[in-house]
Order: sequence, then structure tokens, then C-alpha cells
Amino acid sequence: MVARGAANVWWLFDRKRQIVGRDNVIRSGIETDPKKARAIAKKAAHHMAIVVVESLRSKDFLSDEDTTDHLVLDIKPDVLAVMQDPEQSLIIASGHFGNWEVAGHWVSRFKPVAGVTRTMNNPLIESIVKKRKSRFRFRPIPKHDSNMGRFLEVLENKEFLALLFDQHAGEYGMMIDFFGHPASTFKTPPMLHLVTRTPLCFASCRRIGPMKFKICTSSLIHQPRSGNKNEDLKAILGSLNRDLEAAIRKDPTQYLWGHRRWRD
Amino acid sequence: MSDISKEKEIIGQLRGILEESSTKEPDWDNFGRNSTIESLGLDSLTILDLLYDIEEEIGVHLEAKEVLNITTLGELVDLLIKNGA
Repeated sequence: MVARGAANVWWLFDRKRQIVGRDNVIRSGIETDPKKARAIAKKAAHHMAIVVVESLRSKDFLSDEDTTDHLVLDIKPDVLAVMQDPEQSLIIASGHFGNWEVAGHWVSRFKPVAGVTRTMNNPLIESIVKKRKSRFRFRPIPKHDSNMGRFLEVLENKEFLALLFDQHAGEYGMMIDFFGHPASTFKTPPMLHLVTRTPLCFASCRRIGPMKFKICTSSLIHQPRSGNKNEDLKAILGSLNRDLEAAIRKDPTQYLWGHRRWRD
Repeated sequence: MSDISKEKEIIGQLRGILEESSTKEPDWDNFGRNSTIESLGLDSLTILDLLYDIEEEIGVHLEAKEVLNITTLGELVDLLIKNGA
């Protein structure tokens, strides 16, 4: 209730995000009617507020051995085998869909997880998020850092590396279709896969009820090196974007539409 | 091929790769063994490009743990020679 109220106030005053969210929904083709698109964007804003509350409350069940009351799991067997193998690391690529925090903390029951984080604009949310992330076996690593090897270190330690790849990647990104429109997409997950041969998969965590989530993964993404780096990257990123689109289509109100994904 | 000419050849290959992939213009006048990895304009993302290109151009796969401690071009060249370049 409080989260919804806060989201309503924020929505009311952040006109820019309203427009970006609505226009992104229309651009994706999920909804063409501006009023319905705006409604989806508004629900998505509520969803983001709920994500924060859920992430705080989920510690109660994420620590339990039996999570069946709260989690429905659809983890592909090849991914599960890697998760359970102490000698293997895994790159988990995801987007700002559903509750990625819950997924990150659930997967840390297998092995420590490192995830790239950026500082939140709101100091209160930043302090909440910091406290939250230090629980379980989740280690935040900075988006920008002088330590060039920070991603490689995680994989070398046989830990999981969780990367959200769906924000505008700027000059380092590669233009890959997202809902049929080119979007600058982060190359980090596929580059790490191609260079280190670490297994890579897509994962999502969709809310299917109050404090109930469905965590899904793709099968492991196998992309043999062709010798043409750009073609290899395009193949992997295309696959990841399609997986993310499919997840979003299941419930468009759980996606961060307020982010300026397309900037042409 | 002598060690020195081998080293020269690899440095030339690395320069070619970096000319293609580096986001920052390195100081080519002083490009050599003592160039630091940082001065080459590499970061956590572009170093992955470099490793991919090294494998394609020079034919040597470097393990992540081997690369983590490298700070200069000379150390990278030594590592490549050690791995059969």
C-alpha cells in the first residue's frame, strides 16, 4: 500500500518518465493505444516500488530450505547442473524485469553471486539496497572501477556473475534489435562467455502472486567462436534480447519502461 | 626466430589489434614493453575485446587467471611467448 502510494506520487510528478514509459511501450508494439500504453507504464512504475518492498521482505522465505510457497522454478537441467557444480562459474544475464533482486538472492544459495550495481539516485533507496545486498551471498561490484579484472576474478573464483544487460550501453554497446528496434546493448555477458568459455544463460523472475515468483532460465547459450567477433556477439545478444522480450510479453507491467532504452 | 625478433613481432601484432579496438588513442611513440595496460586505454570491457582478438590473430588462448596480474605490455608479451606464441 505504502509502496503504491509512493509510486503514485512519483508518477504524478515525474512527467518525463511518464512520457518515456508510454512511448517505449508503444514503440515495443505491445500496445498501440496511447491511453492503454500509459496505463501499462503507470503499472510498471508501481511495480518498481513493489520490487523494493518485496526485496526487503523476501529474506523471510529466501533463507528457508523449502521455498515452494513463494517460488516456482523452471531452471533448465543444463543450467542447474552448472549451478550445482562447485568447479564451474556461470554468467547469468537478465533485464530489469520482474524482481531480479529475488532471483539474485535465490541463486546465491548455490554459490556466491557478484552483480554489477550503480549508485541509486535516491539516498534512502541506496541505503536500503546496500543493506539488502549485503545479506545472503550477494556481492555488489561497481559498474565503473579501475580494477579491470573484476569480472574475470568472479569467474576465476567459480562464482556466479549476474549482469543486467538491458540498459542503454552507449559507445561500448552493440546495436541489436529490441522489440524490432535497434538498441545499444551491453556486450559484457557475451564477451566474457566468448573469452573465458564460461557458461552463459538468460534468467528472469516474474511475480505471479503476492510474494510469489516464477524464476525461469534459458538453456545454456552455446555460441562457438566463428572468428568473427561481431557476428558472435550479434548472435548471442540477439538471443538474449529475444529471451527478454518473451519474458516481458508475459507481463509488460513488470518491466522498467521508464528507462530510455532507445536513444536514436 | 630469436627471442628479440619474436617479441618485436608480437608487439607489432598487439599494436595492430589495439589500433582496431582501443577506445582511447595510446601513446604510440612510447609503445613498447613498458607501456602499462592502463595507458593503452583498456578497461574491464575493452580488455575482453583484446583477449578475443589475441586468440584470433596470434592463436593463443589466455586463461583469465593468467591475465589478472598483468600490468604492462611486456608482461603480456612474455605470457604469450610462454603460451606458445
